[in-house]
Order: sequence, then C-alpha cells, then structure tokens
Amino acid sequence: MADAVAVAATNRRPSRFLVLAGGAVGVVFAIPLFSIVANVVRNGPEGGATALSGSALRPLAASLALAVAVTLSTAVIGTTLAFLTIRTDVPGRRLWRVLCPLPLVIPSYVGASALLAALAPGGLVVSGIEGLGVRGLPDPSGFFGAYFVLTLLSYPYVYLPVSARLSMLNPSLEESARLLGRSPTAVVRSVVFPQIGSSVAAGALLVALYTVSDFGAVQLMRFDTLTRRIYETRLIDRPTSLVLSLVLAMVALLVVVGERRASRRLTTSQVARHKGALRWRLGRWRWPAAAVVAVVVGNAVIGPVSVLGFWAFRAITNDAGLASFDSGFTTLGPPLLNTVMFGLAAAAFTMVMVLPVGYLQARFVSRAGSIVGVLVVTGFAVPGLVVALALTSLVLDTPGLAGLYQTFPLLLLAYSLHFGAQALRSTTVAVTGVPQRLTEAARLLGAGSVRRVLTVELPVMRPTLLAGAGLVMLSTMKELPASLLLAPTGTETLATRIWAASEGMYLGEMGVTSIALLAISGLLTWLLIVRPASA
Amino acid sequence: MMNPGQHIPAVPTRRAVLVGGSAGLAALVLGACKSSTTPGATTGSSAGQNITVYSGRTKTLVDPILQRFTADTGIAVNVRYGDSADLALQLETEGDKSPADVFFSQSPGALGYLSGKGRLRTLPAATLDKVDASLRSSKGEWVGVSGRVRVLVYNTDLVTTADLPASVFDLVDARYKGKVGLAPSNGSFQDFVTSMRQQVGDPKTLEFLRGLKANEAKTFANNTAIVEAVGRGEVQIGLVNHYYNERAKKENPSVKSANYHFPNEDLGNLVLLSGVAPMKSSTNPAAEKLVDYLLGQGAQEYFAKETLEYPLAAGVKPAVDLPPLTSIKAPAEDLNSLGDLATTARLIDQSGIAGG
Repeated sequence: MADAVAVAATNRRPSRFLVLAGGAVGVVFAIPLFSIVANVVRNGPEGGATALSGSALRPLAASLALAVAVTLSTAVIGTTLAFLTIRTDVPGRRLWRVLCPLPLVIPSYVGASALLAALAPGGLVVSGIEGLGVRGLPDPSGFFGAYFVLTLLSYPYVYLPVSARLSMLNPSLEESARLLGRSPTAVVRSVVFPQIGSSVAAGALLVALYTVSDFGAVQLMRFDTLTRRIYETRLIDRPTSLVLSLVLAMVALLVVVGERRASRRLTTSQVARHKGALRWRLGRWRWPAAAVVAVVVGNAVIGPVSVLGFWAFRAITNDAGLASFDSGFTTLGPPLLNTVMFGLAAAAFTMVMVLPVGYLQARFVSRAGSIVGVLVVTGFAVPGLVVALALTSLVLDTPGLAGLYQTFPLLLLAYSLHFGAQALRSTTVAVTGVPQRLTEAARLLGAGSVRRVLTVELPVMRPTLLAGAGLVMLSTMKELPASLLLAPTGTETLATRIWAASEGMYLGEMGVTSIALLAISGLLTWLLIVRPASA
Repeated sequence: MMNPGQHIPAVPTRRAVLVGGSAGLAALVLGACKSSTTPGATTGSSAGQNITVYSGRTKTLVDPILQRFTADTGIAVNVRYGDSADLALQLETEGDKSPADVFFSQSPGALGYLSGKGRLRTLPAATLDKVDASLRSSKGEWVGVSGRVRVLVYNTDLVTTADLPASVFDLVDARYKGKVGLAPSNGSFQDFVTSMRQQVGDPKTLEFLRGLKANEAKTFANNTAIVEAVGRGEVQIGLVNHYYNERAKKENPSVKSANYHFPNEDLGNLVLLSGVAPMKSSTNPAAEKLVDYLLGQGAQEYFAKETLEYPLAAGVKPAVDLPPLTSIKAPAEDLNSLGDLATTARLIDQSGIAGG
C-alpha cells in the first residue's frame, strides 16, 4: 500500500496568481462571519448574557449530539451504498445511482412533514398496520425523529464524493492483493477503504455542518437545537440570536479543525485514468445487497414521494381542493426553469471560486490555504438567512454596489458562499489525486500552467469535481432563505413555491411541486453526474 | 462471497464534451444575467406608477387582490414574498436604501419590530380611521387589514361537542391530560399569550402555561402540524387559527377535524391581525394608495370570501360560518410592541413548555 500513496503537498511556494486568487476568495467567504461579529460587537454585551446562560447550553449539547449521531450513521450508509452501487454487480445499480443522491434535494421540513404524516400516531402507515394488529411504534419526534430524517436526507454528502472516488481507483492494486491470496473482504478492508478515507471524511464533515445548521427537521420534530433557538429569537431577541449564530460558527470551526486533524492521517492516493475500476461479483449476496440499498432508498426517496403523491392525489380528486391549487399546475414552468438555471449556474460559479483554494490546500503546505479553507466551511454552517442579510448590508452600504442588490449575480454569490464548502472538499480531494508525474510530464513538454490545468489535470479530476458540483447544484435547487430575500423581485423557484404551499397548508400543491423538484433533480443528476461517471 | 469480476469500462477522453458543456453553462449564466435586468428586477420607488411590496403573506392569499389594485389604479405592483420575520430583518438591514414601499405582514409582531426601529411612516388619519382603534398601531404607523381568529380544532371522532371546554383556561383540567396540541414557538400562539398577560397578568399566565405543561400538552412546529395531528387523532384537540382547518377540509372533505369557537369573548377566541405599513425609506405616494385600497369595500369583501378571514373595515361581514367579530376578543392596545413579545417569549421559555 504505502508505495502507492504519495504525499502531495510540498513546501514549494505557490505562485503569486494562486495566492492572490485564493486570498480574494477567502475575503469573499469571510463576509458572513464578519457580519455576525460586527453585529455582535455593535449590540454590546447585552445578547451574551441570555445567550450563554444555562438555557443555551442544552440546545448546544443537543446540536452536538445530533451531529455526532447523524454523521456516524451517514458515513456508514453513504459508504456502503457507494460501494454497492459503484463497485459491485448489485441488481438495479443504474437506477440506484440516479436515486441515491436525490434525498439531498428534499427540503428537510418536507421530509419531516412526510415522515410525520406516515409514521406519527394515527399516520398513514401507522393506521394501516394497526389494522393488522401491530401496536406501539415509537413516536417519531424529538431526537429520534430529527436523527432519522437528517440521516436519510444527508447521506448523499458522503455517497456522492465516495462514489466518485471509488469509480476511479486503480484496479491493479486490488488485483495484486487478490493474486497474493488476500480474501475479498480483506482486500476491500485493507486496499479499498484506505483509499477512500479522505472522501468519507470530507462527506462526513459536510453532514456534521448540515446537521448543526438545519432548522426545518428539528423544528417539525420539536427537537430543541441551537439553530432552532437562533430562528426563534431572530426577531424578538435579536442580540441573543446573533450571539448564538456566532456560537454556531465556532462549533463549525471546531468541526473543521477536528476533521483536518483526523484527515491528516488519511492519505489520498494519486490516480490517473484507468481502464476502469474493478467490479466485485457478489454471488449469492447480490439480492441481500439489493435489499439493503432498497431499504435506504425506499425510506429516503420512495417513502416521502409516496406521501407527497398521496397529498397531490387527494387534492386533485376533491374539486374544491383542485380549484384552489390549479395555479400550481399551470404556472410550474417558470419556477422550474429558474430552479434548473440557478442550480447549474451556482454549481459552475462555485467550482470556479473554490478551484484556486483547492489547489492552494492540496499542493502547498501554507497557512493561507488552511485559513481560507476554514472560512469557506463556516459559510455552510451559518443559517442561509445570515448569509443573505450579510450580503444585503454589504452591497447596500458599499458605494457603487447597490445596483447589484437583488440581481442574479448577487444571488449566485449567496449560493456560493453558503455551499462553497460542499465543492471545496471534493476539489481538494480531486487536486490531491492528480498524479504529480502527469503534471511534471506536461511541464517538461513545455505546457504552461493554465494549459496544464485545462488539458491534463481537469480531465483527471472530472469525476470528483462533478460530484462536488453536483452537491452544490442539488443544495441550491432546494435553497430557501437566500432565494426568498435576494432573487430578483418576482422570481420564484420550486423551493419557494413548496414553502409557500406549506405555509398556507396547500398540501396538494406542496406534493406536486416537490415531486417536480425531485424529478428534475433526478434528470440532472443522471445527465451531469451518473452518466459522465459511468460512460 | 465477492470476487473481482469484469472491469467497468473506462471513461474516454472527451475534451469536446467538457468544452461544449462549459460553453453551454456560460450561455445559461449570461442568459440568466440578462433576464435579471428585465422588469421583475426594477425597484419601484421612483415612478409612482410602480410600487414594491414585501409580503409576509403568501402569494395565494394576496396576489389576486394586488392584481385587482393594478387593474383599478394602473399602478404596477412588484411583490417579494417571504416569511414576515425574515422580511422585517431584511427591511431593517436595507435601511434607507430599501427598494420596498410597503410591508404587508402576516402578524403585527414584525410590524411592531420595524416601528420600534423607526422604519415605518405615519399613515393619514382618513386611512387609519377605517378600522377600530384596537386594530391598528397607536402610533398610526400600521393598520390591520384582515383577521384570523384563534380556535380550538378538535377530532370529530374522538371528541363530542359536550366534552369541549367553555374557556381556554379549562385546558389545564385533568380531563384534557395528554390530549391538547399547541405550537409555542409560533407567532400566533405567542400573540395569544401576550393577550393573556395583559388580561390576567404575568404570574397567572405563567401558571396557565405551566399547567399546560403539567397536563402533558404536546407541542408542534406550527398550525399546519397541529391540524394534521388532530385530523389523524394523534391529539384530540389543539389551539390554532381558524383558517387551517378550512384549508384541510377543502383538500380532504372527509377530514376528521373541525373548528370550535370558545363562547363569550373568551381569551381563546382572540382575533389576530395581518397588517400593512408604508416604509419610511420610500417617498412613493402609491404606498398610501395601496394601504387605503386594501381597506376599501372590494378588498375587504375579497378577504371575507376568498381567504375566509375577518374583514376589519367598510362594514363588510365575514363568511357565513364565522361568529361575528363583535363576539370575538379584540387584541389589547399595542399588544405586539417588541418588549411585550420578548417578555412573552421569556415566559414561554420559563414554563418549559417549548423544550423538546
């Protein structure tokens, strides 16, 4: 193993261009954190007293406990699904590859509503099986409910990067180990797993951050976390809300530092393109493996879709209901188009933003790279509302920028600030994975640095980069607070439609629109992530 | 048993695909930039024939009446929809440079917040006088437009009308143990608690909240969640606004939940306002025009018939099956000043009812 793994970062000094680009990106990503600090300072010590009193410690502990539980579960589930669908002959793998990333696009409050409708006392499933004499299902709320929903909705943060990594590993290592007489399970454990460790860690980090910053699921499941406190005090006790946001950002910093410590021991092997990753034959374990995948996807995708479909059907078959929500059908076009456009544009723009940071982190041992990396990650941990408000005061208070307010470019920037972390981890893993000998060869042949990146390195990094871009795309497609506050006035997305329907209890419209969001996300996932990776 | 098998075919180099893909993306981005400068993005405080509204009420509820306003006056309306509290924070952040002329809020809390920050401008007396003094800001900075009423929603299979309480204070009785659903973090519930504080004082209110906690009341995220829980029988009764069960009935006529109005101006029968205010940062005269229009005959009839709410002005009557507004408890004056809301939140926190 050891000789297949090279340490990529060197003590060479990065080029001036890279430092400047990375620094500029870092400054931009510092905006939300800077805004929170500035507001806390302006409010004085007033908010600190209530925020840091005993009653705030319990929500903090709740957030941390939830984050640990969800992160561990998603690491196992995401990695298992990735291995089964990418590297084995499990039946239905092409379909699973499209379905597995989809929970990412289900807004957490929609997932939670669907789960409650099905599994809460008296719910669709519960009343069904109680008819069969089954009693005493656990109440799916509180910690358990939030844990269940967030695990099912966030495992794709692990699944996508690990899948990308698995699809490009060098098969010769596994073949050699096999020829040397190692058992298949031993090969997977000692050869495959060490090579995907950094991708698992990168995904787990995102899950932890997503969990601490989620509001929708914990609110519906009545689990009192830090983010729930931030939202509930945002208007009636602004100083407390701001101090708690700062605490949340600090939690994010700790998580990032922890992940960096842990992943320092993990290495990323360098891979060029191979004739293809090895596929394991499962033999008689094929169908049990399919059952494992089906249980997860069933709960995370098919379950929620069934409930949403039931709501839609119920409303359509009742005339009164239909009359009230036909606007949802006839005008779904523009929001759908906006959703696709925002998702694609945010993914592309974010990749361009974080690529220099990825290079800085992966190729050089520099403090600048680490600091910028940490700033990028905090953007994901703070609530989207905070990001949107920070950008609002920035552009309106800076002479000459006011024209940008509530335009598409500023909205894109908000998406990138909020979701940059999702692209950065994949980018760093991708850059680290580029064999130095390829780059050196290109250099010796006289290729300039731009040309090297475009013609030699990007094609090698493509699957991993696409996984990161896919995460940003799917997250953007369900994003709510920034879309509501910063989109050009009058612009709707599917996510804002779903939210409006749920606010007014238009369950049928919520169902139809959510299914449309899942369908278009599935199509894009297939076109942009699954098909390119397996072509 | 796993065996290494066939190879997954390799990815061929297809630089063309990459290049083509990025070109396509670039085109999309450019196209999107262009579309963002089309009329939707105009910030409309200059022309006078154009007005920008930030609405905490959803599009379904207010878009039809805003369109009618445009048809009647020729003034085009740009609307940004969002959560009332979020929009209030955004308006505060925008300050003097806000593109908004009017704020339409789901509840007085967000309006009170902006009033406290000095962001609203005073309305003309002629407009204010269209509603009762209890239904508007005492500073004359916002005015109530329509009302929802607090009700007790109950499961018609599990509860008979004889079992229903005569007053909201009865919900702490042992006979309702474990049967009540409420949403302590919801603005409507908080408004209800604020009114209770003004009527019976803080200590009694805290005692009532603790009584609910001791009576094992179940907490939910919002009105929607309670109505659904009552419908499926998870709880038998719940404190909500009247509007939600009307919605539930429309989508599912066989729904097993119904609204119950507490009699005799009981505190559980409180009216909650949606309100509207012109922004101080705007000089657009169309702002007052819109506010006045919303209190006119046509708009008030719209709220009565289409959104099934209480009209507050022009002598318009509510839809048939609602009790008359005079039998409903009016909110106490300036119920939603910011300090009051914070105290209410602290009481709810102290009672322990919101935790978990």
